Amino acid sequence: MHWSVALRSCRGSAKAWRTASAIAVVSVGAWILYTFPPGAGSFYPPCVFHRMTGLLCPGCGTTRALHQLLHGHVAAAFQLNPFLFAVMLGGVYGTPDFLRGETPPLFMKSWFAWTSLAVVVGWWILRNVIVSS
Amino acid sequence: MNCLNCGTSNLDNASICVNCGRPLTGAAPPPPPPPSAPQQASYTPPPPSRFDTPGHPPAQQIPNYLWQSIVVTLCCCLPLGIVAIIFAAQVNDKLRSGDVAGAMAASKNAKMWCLIAFGLGLLVFIIYALVGGAAFMQGIREGMANS
Repeated sequence: MHWSVALRSCRGSAKAWRTASAIAVVSVGAWILYTFPPGAGSFYPPCVFHRMTGLLCPGCGTTRALHQLLHGHVAAAFQLNPFLFAVMLGGVYGTPDFLRGETPPLFMKSWFAWTSLAVVVGWWILRNVIVSS
Repeated sequence: MNCLNCGTSNLDNASICVNCGRPLTGAAPPPPPPPSAPQQASYTPPPPSRFDTPGHPPAQQIPNYLWQSIVVTLCCCLPLGIVAIIFAAQVNDKLRSGDVAGAMAASKNAKMWCLIAFGLGLLVFIIYALVGGAAFMQGIREGMANS
């Protein structure tokens, strides 16, 4: 066929490009996390809140936990940040809807949204209380 | 009328389901304002998207970006992420009370704060990489040695 026709059909849909680039970014990120361990002396960005106050934020330990998960150490990952598992579960649960550009009905409920906020803030406080006790 | 998606019963003149936020197909469309009349009502119909059919309710669900807000709170920027979560929760509340315009505004805000929080986190990462240049390279060297 004429090269211009072939080129036009190669353009594909915008959605296909978005999906492909998302998969590429996640794959590269996963490879980096797998190969390079986070922690002291690594190139991973630190938590600004932790640096400034010495306290833990709700996400502290996520990078290390993901590194452990990629190496199959689920228990170690859970110890570093258990809340990460709740977020990943939410991501898995919502994936079919997210792929359609929608929000799962459960996330659209008022009680779920405000409870999520309470859990984030509650976890933030709780983990600092645990560490200091 | 009942939502075809989740089965929740909604008001007859509602255009969006108060439970799942998806458009109620077949609902009576909100009357479009006459072009020459001054804007009196507080509800301003959103600009038509290319998915919309004139005179019909919005073709897509109003997303609340709740999960994305939580991720961004954990990974990128704590204070702005919390702002995004609050807007996401407001999307749900406004839908429940029938304020479709308010829900769309809250949805736009939730998305905006998610992006700002992500951008700020990225900026911090870049600054950290530039300022801590030597430590950055040492980290990579150590990382490759340890793997």
